[in-house]
Amino acid sequence: GQGLSRGDPMALSPGQGWSCRAVLGEGHQRTVRRVAWSPCGSYLASASFDATTCIWKRHEDDFQCITTLEGHENEVKSVAWAPSGTLLATCSRDKSVWVWEVDEEEEYECVSVLNSHTQDVKHVVWHPNQELLASASYDDTVKLYQEEEDDWVCCATLEGHESTVWSVAFDRSGERLASCSDDKTVRVWRRYKPGNEEGVACSDNEPTWKCVCTLSGYHTRTIYDVAWCHLTGALATACGDDAIRVFEESATGDPRQPTFALAAHDSAGPAVTLHCSASVLSTSVEAEPSRKKRPRVSFSRHMSLMARAVFPVSFLE
Amino acid sequence: MAAASASSDMFDEIVMAEERFHGEGYQEGYAEGSHIGAAEGRRYGSLHGARIGSEIGSYLGFALTWQCLLQKSSDEKSSKKIRALDSLIGMIQKFPYEDPTYNKLQEDLEKIRGKFKQVCSMLNIQSDFRIGTERSSLTF
Repeated sequence: GQGLSRGDPMALSPGQGWSCRAVLGEGHQRTVRRVAWSPCGSYLASASFDATTCIWKRHEDDFQCITTLEGHENEVKSVAWAPSGTLLATCSRDKSVWVWEVDEEEEYECVSVLNSHTQDVKHVVWHPNQELLASASYDDTVKLYQEEEDDWVCCATLEGHESTVWSVAFDRSGERLASCSDDKTVRVWRRYKPGNEEGVACSDNEPTWKCVCTLSGYHTRTIYDVAWCHLTGALATACGDDAIRVFEESATGDPRQPTFALAAHDSAGPAVTLHCSASVLSTSVEAEPSRKKRPRVSFSRHMSLMARAVFPVSFLE
Repeated sequence: MAAASASSDMFDEIVMAEERFHGEGYQEGYAEGSHIGAAEGRRYGSLHGARIGSEIGSYLGFALTWQCLLQKSSDEKSSKKIRALDSLIGMIQKFPYEDPTYNKLQEDLEKIRGKFKQVCSMLNIQSDFRIGTERSSLTF
């Protein structure tokens, strides 16, 4: 999972537990907002409200800060590694998205500063297999970026949400993207390439993204995070109403207009034991009062064991 | 006949005086407001334009200086920096200073700012000279 573990043992199922292996206390001066493991697993990036991003190198249980990425003017909200492991993205309240490149000598260099958003950028996420970056912002949009002629540019803007977009997630193929928002909806967007058979118009011979599904009416508060399981295709949301919801795509749906339904308990089948295999992490405690406890959801490889049921979860800090 | 129309005009003037003065006053006010507004707009425009000019001018001076300083370097790292500097200088030189109605003005300005920040990062120079005394604010 990705998030800041508080170190408390959390019993997932009998016999298993979590133990705190390391505390990285000397890196940041303010809230650590997000952490991300590099694809190879040897590095950890931590994004902080102190406007820096630390890169830690792991030697078993020992972590050493090998570099601090500076440049953002204020709170860094998110950090994400590209699947290639050579690119890193950060975003901040200063409305910009920075793309960094790392070489074999562990030297980090800023390759682009993108000022496309007009407000605080909440989250950045990489495409599962392409060097395509997505960002979510307080300006109600999702933007996509890619490298064009030696420079990174914003190649698409996804408009439709009526309020802050808090998070985005790509599906396994990377042809679809889910976004969640303060407007209490989740939107699913699909990429249409030029010359697509559905006849969707593409300008400048560039792919275009269209919203193909909006999940509304399920959430009663801001949706802070969304995750798309690459194993089963299920969508999970973390909402300010203290519930985690799991949505599954209807098998009979039209790919152009997919429908997602709340995963329901199959009453006809045998009784299923509930395993909370979606790791639910509490937010880090900050000096500033937090308005509401916000859950963050991620999928573990045991997603397939997850019982199909709706279960509200409340947090104890 | 002439006497009758003269007297009705006279009453007319008296009766309609308020409305007439109101109208005249409005016209005068409108004209003065437009005049002051145009002057203020011109002042604001030139101030704002000067600010942008000053900002981009400082980026250009900075970039040209570093281009000079790195001229002799031929290593891989320096060539990346030089490429970025060239890109910044190119963007600044392409910027249409003569046309305030250029529709991508704001967009290009943001691109220049972004490129400047990137260059500063590569040169290990702080682009922002504000001392961090901002109070911690509520943010998520």
